[in-house]
Amino acid sequence: MTATGEELYKQREQRFDDIVALKKPDRVPVVPVDIHYFATKVKGISNRDAGYDHKRHFDAIRDATLEFGWDGAPYNGVTATDGWEALGSTQYRWPGGDLPDDAAFQFVEGEYMKAEEYDEFLANPNHFTLTKIYPRIAGNLAGLGQVPLLPLYWIADTTRLMSVGGALLAAPPVRQAIESLLAMSDAMAGFLAADAAYAKEMADLGYPRLFGLAVTPPFDLISDYLRSLRGSTLDMYRHPDQLLAAVDLTTQQGIGLATMAMQMTRNPRVFVPMHRGAGGFMSDEQFEKFYWPSFKALIMAIIEAGGMPCPLFEGDYTPRLKYLAELPAGKVAAHFDKVDRVKFKEILGDRMCFWGNVPASILCTGSTQKVKDDVKELIDLFGDTGALMLDSGLGVPDEAKPENMMALREAADEYGVF
Amino acid sequence: MSNELTDAIVGMREDEALALVKAMLDGGTDPTAVLEAAKEAVTLLGKRFEQEEVFIPELIMGGEIMKAISEEVKPHIEGGGDGAKRGTIVIGTVHGDIHDIGKDVVVLMLDVNGYEVHDLGIDVPQEKFVEAIKEHKPEVVGLSGLLTLAFDSMKDTVAAISAAGLRDQVKIMVGGAPADAQVQEYTGADGWGNDVGQALKMADQWIGGEA
Repeated sequence: MTATGEELYKQREQRFDDIVALKKPDRVPVVPVDIHYFATKVKGISNRDAGYDHKRHFDAIRDATLEFGWDGAPYNGVTATDGWEALGSTQYRWPGGDLPDDAAFQFVEGEYMKAEEYDEFLANPNHFTLTKIYPRIAGNLAGLGQVPLLPLYWIADTTRLMSVGGALLAAPPVRQAIESLLAMSDAMAGFLAADAAYAKEMADLGYPRLFGLAVTPPFDLISDYLRSLRGSTLDMYRHPDQLLAAVDLTTQQGIGLATMAMQMTRNPRVFVPMHRGAGGFMSDEQFEKFYWPSFKALIMAIIEAGGMPCPLFEGDYTPRLKYLAELPAGKVAAHFDKVDRVKFKEILGDRMCFWGNVPASILCTGSTQKVKDDVKELIDLFGDTGALMLDSGLGVPDEAKPENMMALREAADEYGVF
Repeated sequence: MSNELTDAIVGMREDEALALVKAMLDGGTDPTAVLEAAKEAVTLLGKRFEQEEVFIPELIMGGEIMKAISEEVKPHIEGGGDGAKRGTIVIGTVHGDIHDIGKDVVVLMLDVNGYEVHDLGIDVPQEKFVEAIKEHKPEVVGLSGLLTLAFDSMKDTVAAISAAGLRDQVKIMVGGAPADAQVQEYTGADGWGNDVGQALKMADQWIGGEA
């Protein structure tokens, strides 16, 4: 008798949990951590259209999940283009905007916070973000920077709220900013409805949603969004105390956000995409001082709150494996981009599952045989414990050849049934 | 004081390095010698990077200190003080990709290591690479990219260079986080790298020579 959607759902959840807990599963699953344009490309839908027509995009992801035999509903990394348009975002560039229709959306890194603004940020991060960062990352929110926004407790009296707030909200740039936020919300309503429908449909078909929400590690938050790689790097030398103070501040808030996300989404898995802790981006000494303590605190807090942290170690984390041994065994769903898999097995094979690491270059430009050889190598290495989940280094590559994604599944079935 | 300056830069002591530069210039040291000491420090950082003794932060910070020193010294040098170059390199992020952080670090290190670098920027169409090769006659071309769509852009760019009859005149390196031997083979490039050390090593091997 064929298993029902509900049974398949439970099986897949159990298999995922078993692998993370280092219990040998029945077989090696294929679990793409996220997806951008692969599924729509397969259907001949342009990257531009994928950003507007959410139902078609989610339907394409559903079909790809079924066709290519994935063991979970991947996280759709392509958000609503009309949301960016409503905000007049200058922090992203997208297909159909000033990029060609077949390009991928891309993040524009910049020093959105200047080094000399640390103290202002630390004194009142919300106020600073609202009045300084938002106008810099979104043209239509410029008005938020043009008015003296008061601490809200100063107007914690309806009469004063009316006199002060009434005047503030009358200013045309402020009205424009508010209208742009509402337009963004309208755009997102369509996306979120399509997302919820996708999650429900996939669950009914037997595919668990991988994550509820993503939480950026504290150092990456400062480096990616506020200071840029160059800025945060120079801060390690020129403003180390302020950088650390900002990391401390965002650690507490990141922990709060992670626990809130688990409650809101009722999904214990928290996605933690990482950027700047990789080998090469800093020395061990700098890693120990600026990156690791806050990252570890976030991971431990998620575990203590009953959740399952799913860090995506982007870049080459081989030099950092010794630190990962400090994390509790069997609690972390660790996804790797370019790590040395043999060294991982030596150092962490009995403490942590191994997820990802099939090179995007092979999936995009190699032969099906090369894909199968790579999967076989992984299964030969991790087959004794079965603590392995297959995926590319960073989710499904946009340009992966469909036959190679099929070969990934076939190799899992051929070599990975225990 | 030249050695002290080199030490201060390699040790990432920015204020000390700049104070030394001022003292050297005030004391009548040849400004070209000051610049040479600073360049030696950054070259040393590049070598240590290859040995994995220092990492990207030291290169970025070393580049910043170098920039500050150049600004201090250049007014004292007639004609800008740029000496003979070891070779010419044309570099850019390929069409469809707008990432520049890695490329910029590579450009900086090639520059301080004595190469004349023409940075074509980001999202560079293949024709622009071809034009730049005709104009600057480089020995080496660097194609950078972070996204998987860059694989095809790199391949198309190499093909365009071949079609223009220029392939024999240049060595081509492909670089960026996802680059590997597979990408080199696919694109038809001569080498690959995913960090600045590999880019420098290839340039040194292919061009050789001293500044």
